[in-house]
Amino acid sequence: MKKGYVESTTPPEGYDPQREQMLDFKVNEDLLELCETDSKNFILTTVDELFNWARLSSVWPVTFGLACCAIEMMAASATRYDIDRFGAGAFRATPRQADLMIVSGTVTAKMASRLTRIYDQMPEPKWVVAMGSCAIGGGPYFKYGYHVVKGVDFLVPVDVFIPGCPPRPEVLLDGLMRLQDIIRGRKGKFKQPKWVADYVSKIPDVKPEGRR
Amino acid sequence: MSDTTLTNGWEYQDKPREMQSELLEINMGPQHPATHGVLRLLIKTDGEIVHTVTPYLGYLHRCAEKIAEGCDWRQWMVYTDRFDYLAPMNMNFGYAVAVENMLDVTVPERAEYIRVICAELQRIASHLIAIGTFGLDMGAWTPLLYCFREREEILNIFERLSGGRMLYNYFDIGGVRFDTYDGFEDEVLHMVNVMEQKLDEYNTLLSYNKIFIERLADVAVIDTATCYEYGCTGPVLRGSGTPFDCRKDDPYSIYDRFEFDVPYGMGEQGSVGDCWDRYMVRVRECFESCRIIRQAVADLPGGDIMSPDLKKLVKVPQGSLYTRTESSKGEIGFHIIADGGSKPFRNKVRSPSYSNLHVIEKVGPGMMVSDLVATIGSLDIVLGEIDR
Amino acid sequence: MEATAIHALLVEKLGDAALEYVDALEKGTIVAPDKIAEAATILRDDPALHFEQLMCLSGVDWDGYDDSGKGKSVQILGYDELGKPEQSDRVGEGDLGVFYACYSHRHGHKYSLFTRVPRDVASVPTVSGVWPTAAWHEREAWDLVGISFKGHPDLRRILLEDGWEGHPLRKDYVMPSQWQGVPLEGQDYAKNPFSEDDVVLPERPVEEG
Repeated sequence: MKKGYVESTTPPEGYDPQREQMLDFKVNEDLLELCETDSKNFILTTVDELFNWARLSSVWPVTFGLACCAIEMMAASATRYDIDRFGAGAFRATPRQADLMIVSGTVTAKMASRLTRIYDQMPEPKWVVAMGSCAIGGGPYFKYGYHVVKGVDFLVPVDVFIPGCPPRPEVLLDGLMRLQDIIRGRKGKFKQPKWVADYVSKIPDVKPEGRR
Repeated sequence: MSDTTLTNGWEYQDKPREMQSELLEINMGPQHPATHGVLRLLIKTDGEIVHTVTPYLGYLHRCAEKIAEGCDWRQWMVYTDRFDYLAPMNMNFGYAVAVENMLDVTVPERAEYIRVICAELQRIASHLIAIGTFGLDMGAWTPLLYCFREREEILNIFERLSGGRMLYNYFDIGGVRFDTYDGFEDEVLHMVNVMEQKLDEYNTLLSYNKIFIERLADVAVIDTATCYEYGCTGPVLRGSGTPFDCRKDDPYSIYDRFEFDVPYGMGEQGSVGDCWDRYMVRVRECFESCRIIRQAVADLPGGDIMSPDLKKLVKVPQGSLYTRTESSKGEIGFHIIADGGSKPFRNKVRSPSYSNLHVIEKVGPGMMVSDLVATIGSLDIVLGEIDR
Repeated sequence: MEATAIHALLVEKLGDAALEYVDALEKGTIVAPDKIAEAATILRDDPALHFEQLMCLSGVDWDGYDDSGKGKSVQILGYDELGKPEQSDRVGEGDLGVFYACYSHRHGHKYSLFTRVPRDVASVPTVSGVWPTAAWHEREAWDLVGISFKGHPDLRRILLEDGWEGHPLRKDYVMPSQWQGVPLEGQDYAKNPFSEDDVVLPERPVEEG
């Protein structure tokens, strides 16, 4: 297959990766003035924006520290890497008042049913963050761990994966910010005004070339 | 097993018939803010008073002993970090000493001194978390933040030394992995000076606080005979009045060159062996660790950090040996069976918290549920090493 | 007290059951399995020995142990690169053993006891009457290695769930692929969607010269 780039260890001069990606995506400028788009698939109303902003500014996690990553989660909620400035400082002990489950640590076969039970007890909308390599894919215990679930995404749907063993508190905060981005771009259940819906239907479904 | 007599005389059977209602079974479940990890306690209570406590373990069983049979001697050092994830340097130390006792290798002097400094700094960091979370269990939020602030300073030093913030894999069989950086000694000494001031601050804030003392004095008294029977070691044993410390009574590495005392419980605010004694032993051990660090930094020699006669692939000759070292939670022991190859045949880890937790079955009955929380906090368990 | 003297005392009290003295890195006695509880009682109660504390009790699977010292013991089975458990038909052979390490606070000496039992009748009397801490250690030995202890007050699994099949620390243990609906297999690492091979860069005109 003919590659569209010259193979060398340094990129050719004038190569700007960010610009490369932006040029592939075409958007109708007029439509952009009328309705806001976060990415090419979501159109939000102001009510949705308001609710999403409220939700992302106060994501309250449930205390679900399992192993070593829990200590880094505690360090993230301590004074140096304050998680409370993101609004996520109120760790609820009961899942019924929480909206985020940070699975920090190894999930074992014995703990798996308890984890799904806690997940089921959380009310919608809820999010799951897999913190640490054990929660992502079994971690260092993947080869001979007969009691280790190789990743929490076998059990619950995960929104953000945070790699590390253990991830630094700053990385956890970065993951939390990505979760906030996901929440910000979330389509709500409110009806759009008709004029917005009309324009939405007219946006062409742009598929950039060369992407899989 | 022995009869459990309720300590405050409220024997369930002696109550008049109409007051003997059913025992309430509560689960202090694996997800709980005060169980220090994924521990499940099945508590049968008669109102507020606990009748029996049954711990259920295994929610964090990560098969580390099976992994030992599949990976090399050096590679397993990574897994020792994850046993007691609050004091990984001590776990590394224990394993390194255990394997070196079976090999015929001398660790260079500089590495020994660095090891002692790291182990003692780690002991302080671990006790800080013990103090902070113990205060949290008792309802005091501020000491936790103070302790975490100090711990961050220690973690700074460790990060510059080993590259990792919490799980270091810094020790190696035959030495340590990396050399110290410029300014290491000054930072450590500064840290130790700051630490001693802050520990005095914690004493005024938490240790001699009237509410704290009233919550902990005379709660969960464990006497020395019970400690011997149940294999409790570390601050639990020392809090009961026995000044036994592996570093002094069964010395390993170069601990016999340092001068330090072993604090033990004397029943200052209640009986000998209550929760306050165990807590105070930890605070005093921090002071003693500061002493050791000062002496070690003063004598830190130059030289290699790694033994030159160890090959990259370590092969331990045939044999079996049990070696124990003093971790911040108690006595961590590694029973290693080797067959002459590059992989262990059997590594059994004897963790301190496993035996320390066992004593709660004996001491639990008769106390109230909130005293049970205090007891678990004073035993200072880490589920990573209980379940391995 | 010297280890040889302790062994002599045990031989005196137990007779034939104290089989052999081990003089390696760790000094101890190999005891016949049915007399282990008596040996433990002697160690604890005799005033010259006074071993109040049991430091460690561990169960060992001696299957495939290479006695020659060359390190060619049998390999254990794990999960392969596709995440599936490795299968093997090998049936384990060899003995199971228990190891006891005791320490005396009063005299400051250490001693060990070793026992070996055949695989099919793996039963050892319990020492939890002598040292209550052994209750949990023996439960763990039962759980992971499969040695049952006669007279134990509560012999059930401690680290694994009650319904778990098999004893994991045996050398012929095949890793489970699931347990009661919980998947324990891994994922195929070659199919990692974030690997560099899957990234296709957009077509760009090749620059001449």
